[in-house]
Amino acid sequence: MSAHTVKRRKLSPSPTNGTSPAQSKTSTGATPTNSKEVTEKPVHAAARKDGPPSKPHPVQRAKDERTAELAMASGFYKSGFFKLQVDELLSGLRMNYDKRISKVQDTLHMVKNAIESLPEISPKSVVDAEKELRTASGIVVPWPEPRPAKDAKYTMAYAKPTNINVVGSFGLRTGAKTAESRPVDLAVTMPSSMFQEKDYVNYRYFHKRAYYVACLASGIQETAHDLGLEVRFGFQDGDSLRPLILLESRPSKDDKTPSAPQIRIMTAIEPALFPITRTLPMKNNIRQGSTADNTEAGEPTPYYNASLRSEATVSLYHKYLHSASQKCESFRDACILGRIWLQQRGFHTSFQNGGFGGFEWSVLISLLFEGGGPSGQPILLRSYSSYQIFKATMQFLAGRDLSTPLLLFASDIPVPNGGPVLYDGHRGLNLLYKMTAWSYSILRHEAAITLKMLNESREDNFDRVFIVKVDEPALRFDRLLTFPKSFNGDTLRSLHDQNTLYKVLSRALGDRVKLISLASHSVGSWPVKSKALNKKASHGLSVGLMLNADNVGRAVDHGPAAEEKEEAASFRDFWGEKAELRRFKDGSILESLVWSDQPDEDSIVHQILAYILQRHFKIAEDDFFLHGDEYDDMLYDEGDGVISYSNSPFQSINEAFSELEQSLRNMEEVPLSIRHVAPASALLRYAALRVQGADGANEPADIVLQFESSSRWPDDFAAIQMTKAAFLLKIGDSLQSAGAASACRVGLENESSKVLNSVYLDISHTSGFLFRLRIHHDREQTLLERQLKNKSISPREREEVAYALFSYKKVFVQTPRLTQALRSLCTRLPLLSPTIRLVKHWFASHLFSAQICDELIELLTTRAFTQPYPWECPSSIMTGFLRTLYFLSRWDWQQEPFIVDLSGDLDPEVTETIKTRFTAWRNIDPAMNTIALFVASDLDTEGVTWTQYDMPSKVVAGRISALAKAAMNLLRKQHDELDVADLFQTSLAPYDFVIHLRSKMLGDRAASVSKYKNLAEANVSGRAGKMSIVKSFIHDVQACYNQSILLFHGDERAGLVAGLWNPQTLKPRNWNLKTAYSTAPVSSDSTTTQDRVTINQPAILNEIARLGDGLIETIEISDNKQEA
Amino acid sequence: MKTDTVEVAGYTTLPLQLPPTSTYPTPATHYLYIRPHEPRIPDPDSTRSLFIVNAPIDTTEAHLRHLFGTQLAAGRVERVSFEDVPVKKAGVAAATEPNLSHRANKKRKRITADDLQGTLDDITLPRTWDRPLQKSGAHAIVVFADKPSMESSLKAAAKAARKHTSLVWGSGMPAERVPALGVARYLAHESRRYPERGALLRTVNDFMTIFQQVGEARRREESRKAGEPDEDGFVTVTHGPKLNSVAREDEVREIVERQKKKTEGLEDFYRFQSREKRKARQQLLLRRFDEDKRKLHDIKMRRGKIRVSLVWF
Repeated sequence: MSAHTVKRRKLSPSPTNGTSPAQSKTSTGATPTNSKEVTEKPVHAAARKDGPPSKPHPVQRAKDERTAELAMASGFYKSGFFKLQVDELLSGLRMNYDKRISKVQDTLHMVKNAIESLPEISPKSVVDAEKELRTASGIVVPWPEPRPAKDAKYTMAYAKPTNINVVGSFGLRTGAKTAESRPVDLAVTMPSSMFQEKDYVNYRYFHKRAYYVACLASGIQETAHDLGLEVRFGFQDGDSLRPLILLESRPSKDDKTPSAPQIRIMTAIEPALFPITRTLPMKNNIRQGSTADNTEAGEPTPYYNASLRSEATVSLYHKYLHSASQKCESFRDACILGRIWLQQRGFHTSFQNGGFGGFEWSVLISLLFEGGGPSGQPILLRSYSSYQIFKATMQFLAGRDLSTPLLLFASDIPVPNGGPVLYDGHRGLNLLYKMTAWSYSILRHEAAITLKMLNESREDNFDRVFIVKVDEPALRFDRLLTFPKSFNGDTLRSLHDQNTLYKVLSRALGDRVKLISLASHSVGSWPVKSKALNKKASHGLSVGLMLNADNVGRAVDHGPAAEEKEEAASFRDFWGEKAELRRFKDGSILESLVWSDQPDEDSIVHQILAYILQRHFKIAEDDFFLHGDEYDDMLYDEGDGVISYSNSPFQSINEAFSELEQSLRNMEEVPLSIRHVAPASALLRYAALRVQGADGANEPADIVLQFESSSRWPDDFAAIQMTKAAFLLKIGDSLQSAGAASACRVGLENESSKVLNSVYLDISHTSGFLFRLRIHHDREQTLLERQLKNKSISPREREEVAYALFSYKKVFVQTPRLTQALRSLCTRLPLLSPTIRLVKHWFASHLFSAQICDELIELLTTRAFTQPYPWECPSSIMTGFLRTLYFLSRWDWQQEPFIVDLSGDLDPEVTETIKTRFTAWRNIDPAMNTIALFVASDLDTEGVTWTQYDMPSKVVAGRISALAKAAMNLLRKQHDELDVADLFQTSLAPYDFVIHLRSKMLGDRAASVSKYKNLAEANVSGRAGKMSIVKSFIHDVQACYNQSILLFHGDERAGLVAGLWNPQTLKPRNWNLKTAYSTAPVSSDSTTTQDRVTINQPAILNEIARLGDGLIETIEISDNKQEA
Repeated sequence: MKTDTVEVAGYTTLPLQLPPTSTYPTPATHYLYIRPHEPRIPDPDSTRSLFIVNAPIDTTEAHLRHLFGTQLAAGRVERVSFEDVPVKKAGVAAATEPNLSHRANKKRKRITADDLQGTLDDITLPRTWDRPLQKSGAHAIVVFADKPSMESSLKAAAKAARKHTSLVWGSGMPAERVPALGVARYLAHESRRYPERGALLRTVNDFMTIFQQVGEARRREESRKAGEPDEDGFVTVTHGPKLNSVAREDEVREIVERQKKKTEGLEDFYRFQSREKRKARQQLLLRRFDEDKRKLHDIKMRRGKIRVSLVWF
């Protein structure tokens, strides 16, 4: 037991308050006391195991209980909850092999018998052998490229296999129940007698193998037909050198039962057939012409060699894995965890899918039991739990860079540069031979993220590690590049081509990108009687770029100095005429590249790609498509031409604010000194979609001023407001006389309420910006809280006071706090600001402006940045935006709070507090009438600041979820062909009526002013003025009809307001004094329905029309809904 | 909507044609429900009042005066009180008293302080709307000059309803009697939101002056009261100037805080303390484990078994 603890502490940090020495003692001490309780606990792995019934011994049982106990008391697992979830997951994924074996056993036997009874075919020339096979059974030999020459000297033959065996996950029982096919692998060992000593060169082995496979296919055709199976060819691991046979159940007619598993028949050879030294990574085995006999000359052919070697290691690895699974109890579970993890990240054995799949994972674990540490010591111990194995392997993958080769059980093996190498000396194979430089960098990237997730204490992250599928390219990469031109061909060629492309792209993009990933599609299977699909399978190649946000916008690239002749030449060679020699400010003369950073041009990444693809691959600009810039463009169009937080409108308003703050602090006529002037507006936290610009009056930027406390403030609410008004008048005068403001005027809000803030000061700063200042008086909170406790006030007053308290906290406490937090976050994470603004546009496009406040959108977006798992922090607007929608679509808001880490202070205790509050709210208000969404942060643990009082209501929250889901669905279907505008398409279909606003009122200022000239002296000009009229109108309508209508509107560009009738009002009901909407009597003869009334929709719409006279163009009523 | 229903649930139903607008040309009929006002606690005015339900949102006193006085030509309206607006009724008087913070410690006071308070309540910030709206389906009480005019009004309404007399809401009303709706109203609001500096300053000054007077008056009353024996003959003894209770709360909080600080660092002083702490920690771990299990169970109930998602969303 103590051994456990020690190991554990080396590995994973304990979940709570660090690993204090006292804790391990505690856990040891706790065990005996609690073991009794544990025995009663039903949840543990052993009892649920679907394994063979003979397995769960009492010993095993006790041991598992102890594990659960340990896990609970210590950090054996990430947390108790994590362990429970892992157990649950595993129990769901473990396959019932007994059942499966019984299902396929007969089939396997028959196939095996069929193969064993095949007659031998004596050696024949290539041409004869091929022809014979075709005439006899119609089978086309799946030759690998290049097919054997007609005059090849070697012969083709078929001889009885020495061995037929079930291998792979089915044989080892390490498979996981997942949606992907779980084939049963049948390895047919070809007799050594068939081969000659030199067969390892120039594809000879692979040609013989292909013929052998074709013979097998023709031999089992009949049996397969009897069994209802179809024989097809496919590639083993996507490797065109190694075709194999697939037995699939024929696409059956209305067969509901799960089809029998696919059977793959692959070949193997005796391990000693070709010596290991011949297939070392640096050997050349594809020789041409004169060098035919020289082993050392020529390019090394590592992939070819390894592909050959892997044929020889089938049985070796099978035995090796089997012994590992015998030695370590949790081996199988660890394999399942690994498989799931890989699958969710899009990694599979075939080289097109990363070249790292379940098999590689299992072998890697087995190897790590024996070595891999810095000085050769094992990394895993047999006593580890499956989770520990998983985590330690992650640590290994993330920590040990295998681009520097790791040789196990061997030394002095030369290896090629570029790809990762994990060389298994005993079996002579580089385990990672199918991995490319890019797939390896992604694997490490993912492993590093997963490790961070596992080490994080603030959240559980179980879902993000295992459950969530994270391989959608648009969410994973910042830019997607697609070529219609195929880079696919046979494996060796496409590997080569892709490598070249990768190298060119890496060099061209340099430090603008963090990662480049190439993805192609593996070739599917094909019927045995036709040719391979090699040529036809020309799926485009897609490239994913992970950008480095700091460098991506750099306009000038510095190359080598002119004196460094060699580098300069290579630079020129690479860049062609784009390279130019420039003298820089510091006097250096460098080769350099200059790109255009004008907003109306393509993005710099696009420019580079267009240039370099044309130069090196002759791919014209129209022949590739770069996806991801559209999001930037959309923001540029919608967001007043501002993309970055550092663009001038945001910077100048912030400068104006600091000036104003100075002026405020320098005021002398105001009797109280100023404690604090805080910004409290989206404009001042880089989060406003529209900025204050040149076009006249704009939406003012809120600021909050707090005086040093004074005992001279009155305790009466009305008097406080009056005092505020007096102060504001004074401040206005003072600013104006000091020349800091061109105009100041005191404005009124909420004037009908005595407890709400009702005065503010609009300051037109000399810089042209407009600020709105409110006075924060902290005694108000105490007074309001006291008033709330006052038992003698009426419910209605209490409601008002509660609302006032809510509004006080929001306006004076939380908004400045959020502003402060976002100001620093936006400067730290440059993409946060543009992403927030684009998300705001999304919400506005879907007419949520009246239902959702800005701050809520900001919080929803920020989480994708501060808690980005299972990805890293977004480095483009596209990923930021899409991931925000993704998180929204996955948020089960009825059951979970949304918790944002704004200042990095979110620890488990805070999270716990928030969750408790959430539960309390749901208990108080289970119907979610006042709180639908619960969004908290470490700065605001109450979680209702932005969402209380129907902001948004349940219906709207549901619609947001639905829209986010629809957006994700669209993305899933269309991937990189997604048209961004589709995501922002306003749909009016669901609404009952649509009020079209007068475009004059919104757009053309001159017209509206001239029309109402008599009233034009009222200061309504510019966008904000009109917008506030529209807002007042909407507010009026919503206030008058809050029982019967729900209004939706976007920002002013949409120019419409959509409405829904409350479905509960649509049915006639009995006349009631409390019916809070306009009604009409239902005409009816029968006495039963005499006193019934129904909603009077025409009258309501008429009232709205009169209310909005001059604002409204038309009111359009949706036809299909009207009868309802 | 054609209907013969003249009465619904005891209310006379009076159909009103709403003036059509260019933006929404569909003719619409609005229904007013009218009956004599019969409050639970009758007041002297209730006998000559009508209770109206479902007033249009743009109803003003002028509208109702016009309706009953001119369009139905039946009776003179004295005043109209709308829902949501404080009414001088005994039952709700307390609830609508606006000065919230003083109510708790308000004694039955002398006329002077009361008077001042009344004046104070009348000084408010300027209204920003020239024409307030009613909520849809709102009620109103129309007080007529006398009982007969109320009765004849009700009759006239019933008759109009029966005969389908076309009454157009607000038609024929002099335009200047009520401010216009629509854009004009919003533009007016925009300008009224920013009251003239001088007017605002005056309001504030008036308010503050009277507010001070109220305070003084109240203090005087209190000190007078302190010396007077109450009806049982007791004299209430009070301390001198009272600290206001907010300050006291702060003080108490501070003291508690200070005490807490004192005990800090002494938690591990006795062995039993550390033992208990350890025990508590074990309990906590166990409880957490149970909670986790419950949580997992909940999740399973909600989403079914934990399983890997096959699509990424």
